[in-house]
Amino acid sequence: MIQVVGVSAVLQAALPNAARPAVVTVGILYFAVIVAISVWAARRTRTAADFFVAGKGIGLVALTVASVSVSVSGFAFIGGPGFIYAVGLGAMYIVLPAAVTNVMGAWVLAKRMRLIGEARALITIPDAIGARYRSRAAQGLSAAAILVGIVGYMATNALAMGVVINSIFGVGLGWGIWIGMGVTLAYSASGGILAGIYNDVFQGTLMAVASVLVFLFVLNFGGGLGEISRTILAHDAAILGPWGKLTPLAALSFFFVFSMGSLGQPQAVHKYYMLRDPLQLKWYPLLKTLGLALVLLLYFGVGVGVKAFVLSGRLPALGSPDQATPTLLLNITPLILAALVFSGVAAATMSAANSFINIGAAIVTHDLPIALGRPVRNELRWGRAMTIVIAVAAAITAQRSGTMVAFLGIFGWGLFASTLVPALAVGLNWQGATRAGAIASIATGLIVTLGLETAAYSKVFTFPAGVTASAVAMVSSFLVFFIVSWLTRRHAHAELDPDVKLVMEL
Amino acid sequence: MTDSNTSEISAATDTTRRAALVALFISIAAIGVGYAAAFTRSGTPTWAPWLLALAIPVALGAIMILGAARGRSGIGPLKIPFGFVVLVLIIGFGAPLLLPATEGPLSKLWLGLPARAAIVIYGVGLLPIIVLPVAYALTFETQTLSAEDVERVRALAAEGGRENQASNGSAAQTPIDKLRA
Repeated sequence: MIQVVGVSAVLQAALPNAARPAVVTVGILYFAVIVAISVWAARRTRTAADFFVAGKGIGLVALTVASVSVSVSGFAFIGGPGFIYAVGLGAMYIVLPAAVTNVMGAWVLAKRMRLIGEARALITIPDAIGARYRSRAAQGLSAAAILVGIVGYMATNALAMGVVINSIFGVGLGWGIWIGMGVTLAYSASGGILAGIYNDVFQGTLMAVASVLVFLFVLNFGGGLGEISRTILAHDAAILGPWGKLTPLAALSFFFVFSMGSLGQPQAVHKYYMLRDPLQLKWYPLLKTLGLALVLLLYFGVGVGVKAFVLSGRLPALGSPDQATPTLLLNITPLILAALVFSGVAAATMSAANSFINIGAAIVTHDLPIALGRPVRNELRWGRAMTIVIAVAAAITAQRSGTMVAFLGIFGWGLFASTLVPALAVGLNWQGATRAGAIASIATGLIVTLGLETAAYSKVFTFPAGVTASAVAMVSSFLVFFIVSWLTRRHAHAELDPDVKLVMEL
Repeated sequence: MTDSNTSEISAATDTTRRAALVALFISIAAIGVGYAAAFTRSGTPTWAPWLLALAIPVALGAIMILGAARGRSGIGPLKIPFGFVVLVLIIGFGAPLLLPATEGPLSKLWLGLPARAAIVIYGVGLLPIIVLPVAYALTFETQTLSAEDVERVRALAAEGGRENQASNGSAAQTPIDKLRA
């Protein structure tokens, strides 16, 4: 949802034209580096395993930075600060879970997925579900759920890319979409996840540098966090209340969905397969948490900083909350810093798009054919072809479907969380979980999320303050998983293969 | 390893995992009750946020324990960091609910933020970062994964491959082999 909220925010923001020589130059340099990395990666991609999981050969630091990069998207730079500007510290409950989610993922999923991946040579998340429950139906259903989420993510990321590229180069939204998607497609189709990972490393580093510099600049400009707080407290104290302007239930609900839900995000979980040596997992949570903390400094700093600067009259009033970052960058910060951040936002959307293109292609060419009993022969060739199809379809959807794109993007995070967390995260750690429980849970997550989001979007139904469709769907799917597994518990141990059982006992 | 040792280990692990599963189920159900309470005509009752403030940390702690439990030791020394973090989250969510809202121009600031906000941002957002990843790294070989564990999995996978080869009369092919072909 971080990505989706961010993408939606980018859409609403209609970023101002930032096409200044410095911004354009940094933007061109950014794209030149992307092209160079992609050419290098394409030369190293020879097999489907290289294409989908980088041949399980990525080192610790590269994997960590790449994982940080795909975890944040444009939201950390545009939507998030705007959300803090609007509702105060309540918006922090979206990012506060980062303090526990990385290490939680490491304990709950990383070891087991990496080892099962090694024992079975798995390459996708549905692969792991299929192996755990010895079920093509569970694999196929989870693949279908991920594919539905990816449709939304891809279309919204394509549109977000268009908005950002238009802002940097002033080429128009349509060209922005096709340029952004074209570059992403070029490196996705040629170098697969290998190109994606190393571009993520570059993009993640760019995001972290931009975030830290902007955070320090804001603190310096505002006279320190204490002075910034004093200004806000004098004008609008509720902003710095522990829940901001949200209700406690809403803020806590954010924390629940973004903490527990992180265990079902395929773009992050998929990375566990790629680590060269499973023993390197030792430092992965620490490095990723620190990296994420650096990237999220801008989220907090710009949010409270711009609020204080506007309240004290040092910045003009904003047209909309999502203008917080662009207004700061174009009015106060040095232009080179603004250029870095704009390229960082482009990096974030491209990084997310690449990751989802790759996962989507793997689902269409690998998981769904396996679930249907018709495996594809040349997965590398078909993987490349599907990459092109998905990217072009996303760009066309982004251009043509108007507000429908925003709707498609709303439920991605919640859909992944409600369909995958119980079956994958609990299932890999509980031998009593059953195939029937997993299938019922995935189906519940899919139906409840789509049903409630559609009802809410079409205004057939309104949730009470603080309750979201994602949270209700995740709770429902958990409860169904436990209850159905308990009812069918006599089948549980017969559904476990020896290697999977060993990995679950370690 | 003798059978009695195996069952002892299994019993210890089962106890830890069973407790974690029960805690996870109850806390998720409690979160559901908290949400359901928001649908009442009179609006969200005051106890609903409290239910979430208690149940969310317990759910997160339970699923981490479920993932970390292994062998005879269950979660071993990890009970300290897990307990600490669950407590920090409960205090971090509970204190702002309990303390009066006194934020204003004259509020005393703690590291630049008023007290209730500082508890949330520094308590919930920073303390777990200091404790959990370090605990993970320090206990990695004993609690999470050792070179022997990796070898056991590789040996079992290879054994499975040999059995396939014997039964099929042809070279065993893993999915990756097939992909590479």
